[in-house]
Amino acid sequence: MTKLSFRSMIAAVLVLLAVPAFADLKVAASLGDLASVAQYVGGKHVTAISLCKGYEDPHFVPAKPSLMKAIQDADVFISVGLELDGGWLPLVIPGSRNPKIQVGAKGFVDASEGVNVMEKPTGTVSRAEGDVHPLGNPHYYTDPQNLVVVADHLAQVFSDLDPANAADYAANAKSFDEKMDTSLKEWEKEMKPLKGKPIVTFHRNFGYFAERFGLKVFGTVEPKPGIPPNPRYLSETAESMKTAGVKVVLYQPYYDADASEQLAKKAEGVAVEIPTEVGGMPEAKDVFSKFDFIVSTLVKAFGKEK
Amino acid sequence: MSNRFRIFTFICALFVLPTLAGAQTRSIISNLANPAIGMSALFLYQAAPNLTLPGSTGPAFQEAEISVISTVDPLWTLAGNFTFDAGSGVAEEAYATTDSIPGIQFKVGEFRAAFGKHGTLHTHAFPFIQAPIIMSNSIGEEGFKNAGVEAGWMTPLPWYCELTLGGYRQIQADPDHPLNFNSGSMDNIPYLIHLKNLVDVDEDTTMELGGSDLTGMGDDGLHHAVYGADLTLRNVPLRQSNQHGWILQGEYLKKVSYNGNIYNQESDGWYASFQNRWGQEWWSGIRVEEAFNSVSDITDNPTDTSLSGHVQRASVNAAWLPSEFSELKLEYGLAQTANGGPSQVDNRVMLQFNYIIGFHPPHAY
Repeated sequence: MTKLSFRSMIAAVLVLLAVPAFADLKVAASLGDLASVAQYVGGKHVTAISLCKGYEDPHFVPAKPSLMKAIQDADVFISVGLELDGGWLPLVIPGSRNPKIQVGAKGFVDASEGVNVMEKPTGTVSRAEGDVHPLGNPHYYTDPQNLVVVADHLAQVFSDLDPANAADYAANAKSFDEKMDTSLKEWEKEMKPLKGKPIVTFHRNFGYFAERFGLKVFGTVEPKPGIPPNPRYLSETAESMKTAGVKVVLYQPYYDADASEQLAKKAEGVAVEIPTEVGGMPEAKDVFSKFDFIVSTLVKAFGKEK
Repeated sequence: MSNRFRIFTFICALFVLPTLAGAQTRSIISNLANPAIGMSALFLYQAAPNLTLPGSTGPAFQEAEISVISTVDPLWTLAGNFTFDAGSGVAEEAYATTDSIPGIQFKVGEFRAAFGKHGTLHTHAFPFIQAPIIMSNSIGEEGFKNAGVEAGWMTPLPWYCELTLGGYRQIQADPDHPLNFNSGSMDNIPYLIHLKNLVDVDEDTTMELGGSDLTGMGDDGLHHAVYGADLTLRNVPLRQSNQHGWILQGEYLKKVSYNGNIYNQESDGWYASFQNRWGQEWWSGIRVEEAFNSVSDITDNPTDTSLSGHVQRASVNAAWLPSEFSELKLEYGLAQTANGGPSQVDNRVMLQFNYIIGFHPPHAY
């Protein structure tokens, strides 16, 4: 090999090293809604995946090693926070052996930061009340407005990790906020006739949505969080529902449809399946189509119960 | 001051810390001072008509375990497990881990080695009340617990393939540690090689195939080793992950000693089990197993089989879990010898109560 060609090789290697690596941020999240928001904010600079499929109960995702493998090279991991993913994420994150996304690292994000958390327990917290969430209700992503908080937070995180594209992240987050603001006005308009209507939900995971749109959560299909319903409880609840005129029972794809339908039948109402998480049903492809579908389903459900 | 009293005092101090942290504004101790603390407890009622040992029929406090875990600093996490039964208390595990090295999970301290499948389980997580017979004849009924270091490397292969290497302290054989690794030679570093492969068959089902080798030098001039192979098929329907599913699992372990031309197969055995989840609160299981050249340690552990030699056993159980934190398990086990001549039988019915309070880390998949 001549000196010239050897020097050319060295020069080529130095040039290659000087060229920045392709700047896509690999983002993973514990929930489809967070992956959806991350994709909006990140745009072309981000590829986002969710470890929990929307039709999986986010409390009980099996901590399969394949999930650890899936985030082995992630640059960012977005946890829903408030211990919703606490039953599996403490295995998956360390198991990924990815120092960039360990708790406390720059790439680990608690998406609940900045969110106004409902149902923070006061006084003693005890498992006599079932599988309680000691830090408050973690299902904040059912309020569209909370996703604006998440989007702004993610824009800051992405900008810190990828300053070259900070302007794009800020612009995308602003665009997301505006689209959510416009969509929220549309949903509020459609939901206005339902204001004050009572509902029963399978689990206490719809409170933020109810608060936003003025629905009243009358009770739950499960007697306590994480405790399956028994026939006596269903009968007693049905009687209370009939007395109070509650006709609509909502449940998610990962909950017991039979128990929800039994309760609705006893209460002479309707049981309706809705996706609380993106991906829960085929119509819920992202956060916007998810709320579109929930709103239209509720309007139809209350139309039927008349 | 006895070791048991020291452990008891330490545990009491841990329970006092939350009180200090929860005090009003004058407290100088924040919640940062509190590790996550949890406790599990196992109570057993056993009816064993073939056994004559005192206490083999009746109630027993099987074991309680207190676990603590907390972040030390941005680099390390420290965990400890302290177990006690009616007669003693021990620091079963105390180890630090770090995930700061890309691709590698590093562990140092006293812990269960990453050998096979059943050997990595804590007692309260056993799928059957009685551990497989081969465990107590190979690495120990509760796995190989020893001081050492382990590094688990997630290989860059397209499926989950983890290679774990471990090095441990020299240790003599006893009922908890059947392996003689007691050579005082400087080049005696008992070591572990464990390969774990896991693939998703579909979104609900996984297949895991593993192999393990635990080897060291004994004070008898021989190398002592246990080799293991394990296969697990597991189904957890994603839409009903806490309501249905099943686990089909099998392991084979072989304990040997060798040096030069000497090779002794000391004992070997296998088990195959199937567990099914019928609903959120109900599990059932069936297991068959066989062990060769088995030695019983029932005087040390009343759930062990009383039989020795060539032993076969079948077990069936049903478990009720009213929540994730309590379990009632009813199990029947029928063991018999196949040593030639009249068969000896050990059959028993067991009812186990299993409780968890406080913080408990998720069980491995």
